[in-house]
Amino acid sequence: MKKLLALTIFACLFGTGLYAQTQVPPVEITPDRKHAIDSLALEKVRDLSKYISIIGDKTTPWSDAHRVIERACELFMDGAEMGVSSINRPEQITNYKVREYFDRLMQLNYSKVVIDWYKIQYVSDLERQPDGTFVGVITVYQKFQGYDKEKGLVYEDTTKKDITIYVKRKETQIGGRLIGFWDVMLGDIRVKETCKK
Amino acid sequence: MAFKKPAKTKVLRTLAFKKPVKTKALRTLAFIFLAFLAPLCARPQGSIGGIAGDETVFYAQTKQVNQFFRRFNGEEDVSGTRLYPGQTAYHDLKLRRKYMNMLFDKDSPLVNNDQKTVFIEEVLNKKAPVLLDFHAKDWFCEVATTFTWKKQTVNIILYLRIEQQNGGYKWVLSNCFCDKFNTYFTHLGDTTNLKFFLHPMSHEIDFMNIHKALDDPKNIDFYLDRNYVPDYLALFVSELKEGNLKFVSVNNEKFHVFQVPNWYFEISFFNRNNYNSGWLISNLVRLSPGDKNELLKHYTHSY
Repeated sequence: MKKLLALTIFACLFGTGLYAQTQVPPVEITPDRKHAIDSLALEKVRDLSKYISIIGDKTTPWSDAHRVIERACELFMDGAEMGVSSINRPEQITNYKVREYFDRLMQLNYSKVVIDWYKIQYVSDLERQPDGTFVGVITVYQKFQGYDKEKGLVYEDTTKKDITIYVKRKETQIGGRLIGFWDVMLGDIRVKETCKK
Repeated sequence: MAFKKPAKTKVLRTLAFKKPVKTKALRTLAFIFLAFLAPLCARPQGSIGGIAGDETVFYAQTKQVNQFFRRFNGEEDVSGTRLYPGQTAYHDLKLRRKYMNMLFDKDSPLVNNDQKTVFIEEVLNKKAPVLLDFHAKDWFCEVATTFTWKKQTVNIILYLRIEQQNGGYKWVLSNCFCDKFNTYFTHLGDTTNLKFFLHPMSHEIDFMNIHKALDDPKNIDFYLDRNYVPDYLALFVSELKEGNLKFVSVNNEKFHVFQVPNWYFEISFFNRNNYNSGWLISNLVRLSPGDKNELLKHYTHSY
């Protein structure tokens, strides 16, 4: 009985990751699991795209935009940045903390902003990091149009957004039982202007 | 979106390079297939947006290096869906042939059309097809960066390769090159100097004369082993830690691949508004025995 109890405790410790900080329990991502993780990651990217559209929308009240910025920031890992470059200066990448990026987006000096997202997306394979977390990149394309009250459309671009995703196996206790789940967080985003027509 | 309005539109430089009609026709067919049929049979996993405009360019574009590997290896179908071992189309040579033609920068003067054909045939050899492996050796990344060094702007090339650790992988710095660091070694290998040396009996006097060399830093490189290869990475680390070198930006990245026997190729990103865009082969070289080491030395500046 004691042996069984010891074994159970050991199994629980191993399962919760308390077994050893440095040991990474081997976790394989099967194609089915990858598909499920992709869907989860795309859900987060879809949330982000919605938030970006709302933040950029000039009709969004200031207080609402701030609330949405909070929600948007929650999608990201701490320290995540947006690396932005334009087609005129592809070699010059400006890095913004995500919150700063959203703040600037909210304050853009256009009377109207239209942000649309292309249907196309690409989800990379997930590669395992030395700390056991899996990392991948999702590529999406966004069309941005900035309007001036008098001049109409004054700025337009299409950007390729390469979004880092971190996928981690986590566990939570529900009704006294440990339930494992895959958590997805967004990381750094490289924003590259695509070639104009 | 960019926060600053662009001042003027930059026209991407395109290099004229005529291709034989047959290959061009084949490529066009492949493009048409991927560009027009792929979107129709695409099964997006809940797509992000709703623009139904012309996104065929984005479908055709090799969007990530990861996708370059998948297309090269025949690990994704024409709709972009990942293929896995056990599926009939996985590593299928016909599928790979369709992709292979598209994975070359058609404007590159460094891709010879005849060599390209031979390369494709060798890669798609039925008996021994060649696959790329992200985790394997024989490929590395070259990242062009800008730093400030002692208050002046300098360009530094960083070389990175994939390294395994604890069951996972990471990119590590394997070398770097900065022409400014060369100024430390201008006299390296000089055999004409008859002034700056430690005479051959210096050991008998406990090298009491060595201070003459060390007190004259500008000529210290005359005293080095003529075969010494400067370790730029050590200098780079030292300068960074001393605070003399400050990072500014990453300008560009490209990949050097030696995984196909007897071939070297380079992968670069092409930001174009046509089907021949994204990560493509920008340079292809047939290697003779010994060429590989020479090329490696050349591309990594490790002479």
